[in-house]
Amino acid sequence: MIPLLETRALSKHFGGLHVTNDVNFALAPGEIHCLIGPNGAGKSTFFRLLLGEYTPERGQILYAGEDITALKPFARIRRGMSVKFQVPGIFPSLSVAHNLEIALQHHLEGASLGAEIRRLLAFLNLTAAASDRAGNLSHGQKQWLEIGMAISLKPRLLLLDEPTAGMSPDETFATGEMVQALNRDGVAVLAIEHDMAFVRQIAQRVTVLHVGRIFAQGTTDAIIADERVAAIYLGEADAPPLRSVADA
Amino acid sequence: MTLAMTLLRRLEGPQTLGRGPAFWTAFALVVAAAIAYPWFADGYTVGNTAYFFCWVFMALGLCLIWGYGGALSFGQTAFFGLSGYAYGVLTLNVGAAYGFTLAALVLAVALSAVMAALLGYFLFFGRIGGVFLGIITLSVTLALERFMAQTAGPDWKIGAARLNGYNGMSGMPPLTVPWFDGDVVLFPDVALYYGLLALLIVVYLALRILVNARFGNVLVAIRENPERAEMLGYDVRRYQLAAFVIGSALAGLSGTLYTAWGQYITPSSMGLTAAALPVIWVAVGGRGDLTATLIGTLLVLGGFQALTIYGSQYALVVMGLLLVVVVLAAPDGLVVAGLRGLGRLRRREASR
Amino acid sequence: MDLLTHAFTFLYQIGDAFSFLVLSACGLAVVFGMMGVINLAHGELIMCGAYVTAASTRAGLPLPLGILAGALAAGAVGMVMERLVIRHLYGRPLDTIVATWGISLAATQGTLILLGSSMPGIGTPLGSFTVGGYSYSTYRVVLMVAAVAVLAGLYLAFNATRFGTLARATIQVPHMAEALGVDTRTVYALTFGLGAALAGLAGGLYAPTMTIVPTMGTTFIMEAFVTVVVGGADIFLGTAPAALVLGTVRALLTTWQGQLFGQIGLLVAVILVIRVLPRGISGLILRERA
Repeated sequence: MIPLLETRALSKHFGGLHVTNDVNFALAPGEIHCLIGPNGAGKSTFFRLLLGEYTPERGQILYAGEDITALKPFARIRRGMSVKFQVPGIFPSLSVAHNLEIALQHHLEGASLGAEIRRLLAFLNLTAAASDRAGNLSHGQKQWLEIGMAISLKPRLLLLDEPTAGMSPDETFATGEMVQALNRDGVAVLAIEHDMAFVRQIAQRVTVLHVGRIFAQGTTDAIIADERVAAIYLGEADAPPLRSVADA
Repeated sequence: MTLAMTLLRRLEGPQTLGRGPAFWTAFALVVAAAIAYPWFADGYTVGNTAYFFCWVFMALGLCLIWGYGGALSFGQTAFFGLSGYAYGVLTLNVGAAYGFTLAALVLAVALSAVMAALLGYFLFFGRIGGVFLGIITLSVTLALERFMAQTAGPDWKIGAARLNGYNGMSGMPPLTVPWFDGDVVLFPDVALYYGLLALLIVVYLALRILVNARFGNVLVAIRENPERAEMLGYDVRRYQLAAFVIGSALAGLSGTLYTAWGQYITPSSMGLTAAALPVIWVAVGGRGDLTATLIGTLLVLGGFQALTIYGSQYALVVMGLLLVVVVLAAPDGLVVAGLRGLGRLRRREASR
Repeated sequence: MDLLTHAFTFLYQIGDAFSFLVLSACGLAVVFGMMGVINLAHGELIMCGAYVTAASTRAGLPLPLGILAGALAAGAVGMVMERLVIRHLYGRPLDTIVATWGISLAATQGTLILLGSSMPGIGTPLGSFTVGGYSYSTYRVVLMVAAVAVLAGLYLAFNATRFGTLARATIQVPHMAEALGVDTRTVYALTFGLGAALAGLAGGLYAPTMTIVPTMGTTFIMEAFVTVVVGGADIFLGTAPAALVLGTVRALLTTWQGQLFGQIGLLVAVILVIRVLPRGISGLILRERA
């Protein structure tokens, strides 16, 4: 089976610092995959390479078998990728409904556009805030709005960069359920995540990045049980995630 | 039929102030007053109002590029001058028979659109944004002014048209519409006034439709957060380029109309002072909204002319200070701030 | 004209263009590089320096002191501008550029009202020298030396003085500098004042070579803009090499087609360069080095 997303020997460095080093990675269609690793492991850079915001020095990126290494970001999005950034990326002075309309207008118009906006607002618990300025939402609500915009594109592959940052445990759990619901409809998900409870809730496979390389890869349970993975986290000054797993 | 309905619905939307029967009644009243106006004013005053109308197109174009698209273009006067000179060169060579002046108008505006596409390609596809976009576009208009200013010699002519250096070109024919019983010449009085009024209404409504359509949605999305817009699958560069071309064509339209109105054009129409004026009109009115820009431009033009009684340099000092004060105190523009204040007041009345 | 004379003329022209670009742009570049602000009234600060220099020289001050007075006056005006307008617009670079345009307009026209349409010039000092039968202005050579001296002086100011250290710290990590007790407002005000004084210096230095009119700022700003655009945000890695490259382009085009094509060719070169190097020369150098 052709992987939905594949990288071959992908490398990017800033000066002498290899932030992505010879990464060979594959994601199967319909898979939920989490990307973890201590701060500075190169997770966000890897995302930016996948999205085309950075150009790699070496290596290839393939989407559904097609080489997309040279494509601009918007062209990758149109092929069925979608992203939710770490810092919420919304249109602050436009209304919440208007934000969604801009995402949805690719494939909907008129009455069906309005209906889909209402459906999404309800789904995102934002119905009451529909006509508020998006910039005035709470941090968690902005996260949800951006997720709503990302899924509006009906992607085959959803990239999530720390989707639960700043969320309460309840909100985190609800986000996990939503990701699983999308996955049941066939959306593959690649998520950068620090919250190991969330990883355990959603991930089918986990990849650990460390200093720009793939350090370990496997099922969630196997990764959590791996002592070498715990060791690289403990080597970090601020690495709460795996410790909380050890407590659990 | 359905297309017409869709377009009509786009006349209102989140990107434009004013909606509902109240707004459109007021709009109809203003249009009616504008139509009746020449019956109550003398030819000179009407011609002077037509002169104001000439400039509004450039302001609306800048509003689209800057206010909606978030791209700071300080060089709209480059296209104003380019089209003005093009109109002069074309009509001085071919004349005004058979409605050629209208063809010259179209060609002059098209020239600006083509030049804007060329310049815009380098700027937007080179990902130039922010302050750099402003200073490069400003440099372009200053370079054009310098170029035209040194064309004084007899060598500098295109066909029968002398460019005339700093004194500029003059003597080109006014716009002429061919009609059954002879041509109708739009001299700068009542005839031109009605022509410009009709054109202004058409352009204003068309722009309202444009900014409330998908195109406008993407444009404001780019202004708000270009990265997010790109990550929704929009080619940001194309949309910015399209807005720049439309806005610059409107600047070209202003330049052509101005040249036809006064039958002259000079290099100083592309200079630093001239380039500042559209920025002032749009900033003072409210760059985020077409209606605010339209009202603001007419008010500032009127105020400017009233002040020039004391000398144009006094008027320009006031304009400069006005720009500083607006940026500091009412960054969204005075007209927008005024309308918002009115809205708040009405809501307070209603809640009482 | 033999080859050597040709070569000398060409070098002289490059030097002349280089010094004009460096002196026009350095004040703008300091403020842009340090504060991210483009000051559209830069040309009027140059004009201010030229007026003060011309007036004080005509009043009997020796020219070097007159130039110094011009620089100081422009610096003082710049500090006032910063206090009244710029300070309230930090974090809004697009609004800053618009507001400074308003100041520019009011300053040009205000000068026209107060001081009339021109001021009597002061004439170029130092006469000329001849090479291979052609004469060259000695003062132009002084300007070239001045341009290099200004670059050297700025390098020392930012790398060897307390102000320089504080300024760089403030620019790189403002909140950290603040936490360490640096008064960032004062640093910004001084930086803006320094940029304005450099503009005044350029005006003072060129005052003897041109007619002194209220609109003389426009003669400088286009060149200043394109140098900063091509150079990028760093004055030493950007402005100086950009001035050298653009100076050469301009000298070549001027030799080939005359003054006007030198200026317009400059702009075309810039538009082509930014298509390839959106962050300017310093962006390129810094990326390679990082």
